[in-house]
Amino acid sequence: MARSKVMKVLTENPVWRSVFRHKMPSDDRNRVLVVLSNVFLHLHPTKVRKSGVRLSYTWCMGGLTFFIFLVESVTGILLMFYYRPTAEFAFEDIQALGAHVPLGIMRELHRWGAHAMVITVWLHMFRVFLTGSYKPPREFNWNVGVILLVLTLLLSFTGYLLPWDQLAMWAVTVGTNMARATPFLGNEGPGAALLAIGDTPLVHAGSDVRFALLGGRFVAAGALLRFYVLHCIAIPLAAAVLMAVHFWRVRKDGGISGPL
Amino acid sequence: MSDEKQESPGAGAEASETPAAPEATAVKRPKLVPVKKAVPVKAPSAPADEGVTRRGLFSALGLGWLTFVGASGAFLAASTRFLFPNVRYEPPSSFRAGLPSDYAVGAVEERFKAQYGVWIVRNQEGMYVLSTVCTHLGCTPNWLAAEQKFKCPCHGSGFRMSGINFEGPAPRPLERYAISLADDGQVLIDKSRLFQEEKGQWKDPASFLRL
Amino acid sequence: METFKEIVNFLTNPKILLILSVVMFAAGLIFIRFFTKPIVAIAGAAASVVFFGLSMTDENFMLIVAKADNVPIVMMVVLVGFFTWLGMRRAVINDQLMEAGQETMERRETKQKVFVWPDLVYIEFLAIILCTVGLIIWSILLDAPLEEPANPTRTPNPSKAPWYFLGLQEMLVYYDPWIAGVLLPGLIIVGLMAVPYFDPNPKGNGYYTWKERKFAITTFLFGFLILWVTLIFIGTFLRGPNWNFFGLFERWDVAKLEALVNVDLSEYFWVIWLDGGRPTNPLLRELPGLIVTAGYLFLLPPILAKTVFRKFYAEMGPIRFNVMIFLFLMMASLPIKMALRWMFNLKYLVAFPEYFFNI
Repeated sequence: MARSKVMKVLTENPVWRSVFRHKMPSDDRNRVLVVLSNVFLHLHPTKVRKSGVRLSYTWCMGGLTFFIFLVESVTGILLMFYYRPTAEFAFEDIQALGAHVPLGIMRELHRWGAHAMVITVWLHMFRVFLTGSYKPPREFNWNVGVILLVLTLLLSFTGYLLPWDQLAMWAVTVGTNMARATPFLGNEGPGAALLAIGDTPLVHAGSDVRFALLGGRFVAAGALLRFYVLHCIAIPLAAAVLMAVHFWRVRKDGGISGPL
Repeated sequence: MSDEKQESPGAGAEASETPAAPEATAVKRPKLVPVKKAVPVKAPSAPADEGVTRRGLFSALGLGWLTFVGASGAFLAASTRFLFPNVRYEPPSSFRAGLPSDYAVGAVEERFKAQYGVWIVRNQEGMYVLSTVCTHLGCTPNWLAAEQKFKCPCHGSGFRMSGINFEGPAPRPLERYAISLADDGQVLIDKSRLFQEEKGQWKDPASFLRL
Repeated sequence: METFKEIVNFLTNPKILLILSVVMFAAGLIFIRFFTKPIVAIAGAAASVVFFGLSMTDENFMLIVAKADNVPIVMMVVLVGFFTWLGMRRAVINDQLMEAGQETMERRETKQKVFVWPDLVYIEFLAIILCTVGLIIWSILLDAPLEEPANPTRTPNPSKAPWYFLGLQEMLVYYDPWIAGVLLPGLIIVGLMAVPYFDPNPKGNGYYTWKERKFAITTFLFGFLILWVTLIFIGTFLRGPNWNFFGLFERWDVAKLEALVNVDLSEYFWVIWLDGGRPTNPLLRELPGLIVTAGYLFLLPPILAKTVFRKFYAEMGPIRFNVMIFLFLMMASLPIKMALRWMFNLKYLVAFPEYFFNI
């Protein structure tokens, strides 16, 4: 009795009613309303196939990927408060983060979350392939998903440079040196030698695609800043937009996949 | 498909900003229904004496689209150019490296590796300067004196003392830089001039200092 | 114990490991009913745990596994193994149901609908809680690695890319950077995106099945399990200083000497087989390699269209078939090139170092 009295005080007032436009979701009508009247829950339909809630069918990897993206956003924003993306301060700031800031697992959460997100996104793609869920009418959404997979890897890769330690520097050196070999656009790519006016090459170490990525001819302060901006703003923004498309199309293409 | 067709004339007219814009929206609606019906509807709404014929309208639209595409392209090109600054803050490319007599014959001098990214090698005939950038993916190889080779830790490329690649994935020899004697008798190294063996540039006298 | 280590070191020689994994892969698919039994999976898991536990006693293995950044790789191997088993088990059950003329598990549940609140929301909530707890425990137990400050003049030995790119890094040993670093990754992305457009099979949409999609699943599993996950494993555990191969329990000796004198096809052809000198004209010099490459890319597709893939050709038509077969051949070229390198020390089929164009 006491419980229902508390509930009554809690729910039967103008403030509560202004937030929630439905009663307790204890009957079918209100279970529908709870989803329909909430912008976040509205990501879902009001009812789904039973197979869509079966873990051995969905593996829940897509949902977890999205959740880890949110975790990464929150921990990433907190980390940005203590980090300056310059060759002078970057390493020190990361060191100080471990020593001077309370709750010293923020960087760990961010880093291990990033690794976990790579795994969950692969497994999500694996599940979608095994269930043939890329087949009509979901071809386009599979494509969006592939781009999101690439963006996830790029997010992780750009973040790898930011601690500015040996591990970061050389992993990124190896990774970005591949860009030197891009056909026509890289200064050591096939075809680049053909793009020249007389003896002056158009594509050289100071003007190729790798330079655009690094802001310099090697991994230095310019690269740190560019990777920081890509990591914190450009790629997350692109990923967020594509995620919106991805989720919307899941709904439009018939919900969580199942046999037609 | 029909969505695109419906949108393009209107958007094009806006982009071109010609006085034809109101007519363009008038045309837009009939275009959704079959063309045969569209003609009689359109004719009274756009009398010939107003000077807007169908052909004139379409060429204006075409011009508008062309301008739009051109402007977008120019903006994209400008944005790309924005990625390449006019000034680079990187270490100077030429430096003096002591007297030739400081170098032992048959040895690889690693003193300048850290600051300038070069090895200076002295042999019987003279001296040359090798870049410390692996030609495979740009890691920095290590000089293994015991095996008389440069070995790259990233993917295992190996180079002989001359810089010629002989093992691992490196596709071509290490690059050499220009070397000469300065007025004060010191070795002068100019990193802005590169010499690649596979292009036959090692025969260039500037790539090798005869002693 | 020492003999056990010797045997494992021998088996983890990359050539043997890759052959073994391909054999196991084929066996897994041929005897799929056997391998998807729960008892077999439990036995396999138990064996893996015992093997992992024994391996932990080895100093060198411990050094690699205990590296904080390598923990996700172990996790990935475990998860990929489990989910492959789970997916294939459901596929086998569905196949058996369909053979018996019954509905698949998914179809049976399609007709039943459940409310999102509470059924789905509740599962999502649980998944989020578990994931958060897992991440927090992981973060408390393991510190994020931080090495010495960046030093552009001293390359660590060995120098590795982030673990999820180690498959690509392994490819770089066999291919020129423009192929391994740009063309092949690009084709992986394009190829994945093209999958829905050249899979002509309308069956297997929205449920697990093996019998109805043998070719698609085999190709995908081969690419994912062998060419991606196994190469990551090799890159992590078997590549040591100077990018030499080391057995799983072998000490990473910086001084390990391995003669790797690689020979181009042009040298094989003109110098070794014809006993002459290499022609000075680069085009003539590389002619054998160009012919082989052109044959692989342009002659093989029509032959395949007439023989083994006749059914696909009829279903897909020339354009879709040729795109599919091109991507398929590019994927197959990786193990082929690896085998050529290991067996004949072949470096490049075609080599124009003058133009940075090597195949």
